[in-house]
Amino acid sequence: MADRKPPEDALSNLRRRVDAARGTDGSQNAPPPQSPASLALRYGGEFGAAVIVGALLGYGADYLLHSQPWGIVIGMGLGFAAGVVNVVRVAQSYSRSNPVDPNAPSIPDDEED
Amino acid sequence: MADDPIEQFHIEPIAEFNLAGWDASFTNASLAMVGGVAVAALFFNWAMKPAAMVPGRAQVVAESAHDFIRGMLKDGAGEEGVQKFFPLVFTLFLFIFLSNMLSMFPGFFGVHHVFAPTSQIVITAMLALLVFFTVIIVGLAKNGLKFFKVFAPSGVPIYILWFVILIEIISFFSRPLSHAVRLWANILAGHILLKVFAGFVPALASLGLIGILGASLPLAMTVALYGLEFLVAFLQAYVFAILTCIYLNDALHPGH
Repeated sequence: MADRKPPEDALSNLRRRVDAARGTDGSQNAPPPQSPASLALRYGGEFGAAVIVGALLGYGADYLLHSQPWGIVIGMGLGFAAGVVNVVRVAQSYSRSNPVDPNAPSIPDDEED
Repeated sequence: MADDPIEQFHIEPIAEFNLAGWDASFTNASLAMVGGVAVAALFFNWAMKPAAMVPGRAQVVAESAHDFIRGMLKDGAGEEGVQKFFPLVFTLFLFIFLSNMLSMFPGFFGVHHVFAPTSQIVITAMLALLVFFTVIIVGLAKNGLKFFKVFAPSGVPIYILWFVILIEIISFFSRPLSHAVRLWANILAGHILLKVFAGFVPALASLGLIGILGASLPLAMTVALYGLEFLVAFLQAYVFAILTCIYLNDALHPGH
């Protein structure tokens, strides 16, 4: 106990060593692996929710404008489009957090060209 | 019937209570929610009581739960999000996590089973709408009319913008629905599945020796599913919290 540092100093020193040992800046927060079933439910949920909301908004427009059945028809179509957008967003965020292994064998191209 | 897999979701009033003509009874669902909140409050009070520089075991659990959500929120919504929304996200996570975990008890002290509040879509929908309206109100208060940039991604040609905006509006309004349905469906399906497989065990065992041998198969399945449901209980609370972070980010930084 030759060098008695003030406690704050010793604490930040400890924090630095702990972070170095962890190999991160302290924000190590690995998400738990997602099971394929929960991923499938997520995709389906995002798509279905958008279709339902699109149809409901279209129905609401019909109710206000007395334009049956065009609101629900167009709303459902837009809902499908929004659902595809949602699914693409989820898939993009999934691929970002689970990048493809660069050393993985590529799928052989069986096209005649 | 004890072996009806839906019976566990019946809401039974414990104390009848009428509020201006509305049925506001204290039910078994309310009791389970109070239980979840009480466990969270009591545990954190007890664990953080020493507030030691070198934490004990309970304090490590409490502090890592705090750091876990803090890191999640920082990744999702930045340092500003941590300052503004940490209590909200932490409360949501703990409430959902502990309600899910408590509902894994099959029952004790004469209680038939512990109710799973998150298996009721009313409750998950209220939680999701809470996040949804928080995003809208905070987004409008902080950014004013710039908040509506969430509906208009940058770099879209003007002749297609009206279509993109319509789709973005539908996508925005579909969030609370998928947010609520995911938690609800997972917990509901998990609890029904457990009851169905557990119900096979006495039904088969009453058939005699061969039945008892056969009953060991659904029994093993029930044990395995219980393990899976513990994972789901945590995972769904985690997913709910991380989606909350992502949505709250829109309130602080509208525009993709």
